[in-house]
Amino acid sequence: MNKQKLYYVSMLALVLLFALFGPVCSVYAQEATDQPKKTLIMGTSPDFPPYESVDAKNNGEIIGLDIDIAKTILDELGYELQIQSMDFSGLIAALQTGRVDFVMSGMSATEDRKKSVDFSDPYYFARNTIVSKADNNFDTIESLEGHVIGAQLGSVQEAVANQVPGASQVRKLNKIADLIQEINSNRINAAIVEDAVAVEMTNSNAGLVMNFLPADENDGGYAIAFPKGSPYVDEFNTVIAQMKESGKLDELLQQWFPEPNTNKSASNALIDFRVLEGYVPYIMKGVGVTLLFTLVSALLGLILGSVLSLFKISGIKPLMWFATGYTSIFRGTPLLVQLTLIYYATPQLTGYDIPALLAAGLAFGLNSAAYLSETIRAGIMAVDKGQQEAAMALGIPYRKMMISIIFPQALRNILPALVNECVALIKESSLVSVIGVADLMRRADIVRADTFRSFEALLLVAAIYYVLVLILTSLARMLERRLRRGD
Amino acid sequence: MIKVQKLTKSYGKHQVLNGISTTVNKGEVVAIIGPSGSGKSTFLRCLNLLEVPTSGTITIADQELTSPKADVAKIRQHIGMVFQHFHLFPHMTVMENIIFAPTQVKGIPLEQAKAKAMELLTKVGLADKASSYPSKLSGGQKQRVAIARSLAMEPEIMLFDEPTSALDPEMVKEVLNVIKDLADSGMTMLIVTHEMKFAREAADTIYFLDQGKLIESASPDQFFTNPQSERAIRFLEQVL
Repeated sequence: MNKQKLYYVSMLALVLLFALFGPVCSVYAQEATDQPKKTLIMGTSPDFPPYESVDAKNNGEIIGLDIDIAKTILDELGYELQIQSMDFSGLIAALQTGRVDFVMSGMSATEDRKKSVDFSDPYYFARNTIVSKADNNFDTIESLEGHVIGAQLGSVQEAVANQVPGASQVRKLNKIADLIQEINSNRINAAIVEDAVAVEMTNSNAGLVMNFLPADENDGGYAIAFPKGSPYVDEFNTVIAQMKESGKLDELLQQWFPEPNTNKSASNALIDFRVLEGYVPYIMKGVGVTLLFTLVSALLGLILGSVLSLFKISGIKPLMWFATGYTSIFRGTPLLVQLTLIYYATPQLTGYDIPALLAAGLAFGLNSAAYLSETIRAGIMAVDKGQQEAAMALGIPYRKMMISIIFPQALRNILPALVNECVALIKESSLVSVIGVADLMRRADIVRADTFRSFEALLLVAAIYYVLVLILTSLARMLERRLRRGD
Repeated sequence: MIKVQKLTKSYGKHQVLNGISTTVNKGEVVAIIGPSGSGKSTFLRCLNLLEVPTSGTITIADQELTSPKADVAKIRQHIGMVFQHFHLFPHMTVMENIIFAPTQVKGIPLEQAKAKAMELLTKVGLADKASSYPSKLSGGQKQRVAIARSLAMEPEIMLFDEPTSALDPEMVKEVLNVIKDLADSGMTMLIVTHEMKFAREAADTIYFLDQGKLIESASPDQFFTNPQSERAIRFLEQVL
């Protein structure tokens, strides 16, 4: 009897795993084989206009000064450019794990970074500025004494902010848009930001002003980062030198750098949804990504969770141990850690360059399976023992009994819990933006960076998430009514 | 048809069945009676391995059920069982309940299974309930559907585990009538029951169990008029 159960349970598990990953693997294997021209992958964090941003109003392409410089260099050298978007804080890791060949992201060549990566010659020296409310109008480092200063986490300006004498506190935030918001809400008094960004900040927010700081002679300038020992550094340096000489670089700078806007047409209101004009279609495209991703992880979680719950009630010791250990580990560690590990460790351990969406679906599915296995187990246990006996007495085999008799009743028992899990998945899916999946949340961040406005995009995606959850719960109610028709 | 030898069953130290040996012939109707806790239900449930015997052998139609090589699911298809609490599948209609095993396990074509199901439902007087869900039925109706569901697999043996104990008194008769008709049709049956009148009328043989032992095995007339053992005499005094 137990042998038979073991057989069915393990066959089921194998078939499901294959069905899930078989097609995915073969698709990506195919993609890898047909590459005509050598392609270099560039990592960038497109929330730093004018250097790089998403052209959200048009087709969502990544554009900017860095992109144009990269295109020029790669054209010259005869490579194909492929851009991979990710969070700024993940760029160095992406270089070290070989996910990208080089990084251009308004990244300064600092001594600290030089310990982990190689840099090209600098292509631009930015000047630092102080951005503050117009009525404060801080114009020197000294004037900042006793005030709270902000800077973008991981940026060069963070180091500058750290050295302001007498600053009462330095606050490090992830996004430029966050800095603007913190200034507006008086949590910080001023922010240290580089010039091109500062111009855009003040152009888009009528209440803010910028003042230049003296040039810093220790500044390493913006440069292209490569993995340690990369063969491309010298080739790139040659082309950068040519571009400086021919004036091509200056031409690109001219083209991308904004003029300070003197007649301040920008909105003064706290919330002004007009700034989202043109961005809405770009954000709406994230709905599909979020839904696809939620569906994949919910399905994977449900199937794997069912298998695990079968393991748990199988009475076969090794399977029970496995399922219990699995649940313990995946419930006991943060989802964000699992996601990051799966995305960054898979290429290094297996050589398979796992796409971000697949890594995210996998991480969420595996995590959700741990929770669902307990829910499903409880649902199965709550089905009257007599149901199993009646099925056995009729000679119905274990697998058929589980699928047609026990699971439908268990599902009905746990439907409210399943809906909770799906709602949680939809909302938690916003975590995937850290590995650059262009879901709703990521798109909101990009639009915030683009517009230098904080609330509008956030409120819009919050409303979208809410509507998605409403739709899901009403679908679940319909399903529940259907399942309860026997009552 | 059924041969039981030295059957024992214990849960830990608690011995429920204490060496039962007997033979049931084809077409024989056996009523199993005895005080509560005597092991009647356990004995019955051993016959289709819902309880796994601790020792002893059970042979049904020349196949040893207790052998490790036995295809238990296959043998169970030939043994119908009706439970005290019916155990109809609540998410299926009456029709679906009846045709599930024939179509899914025996591979009988759907139309044929449906026709057979209607025939059985007519026999138990519930032809009009085919598309109802179990929750809409009374206890007596549920039990009659459960009997029809078992019969749909065309079993050679039927086991009844206190089929009327969970029913309201006015519904007992409708179920017993169905069982009685079945007995008259020549089905081999074992029935655990507290209905002494029914046992006396319907059974060919009475098994009297006490403390896990088969104390008496006799014809109804002999057992009810002239019980041999002290314990049977005391039991009959209490229930009659």
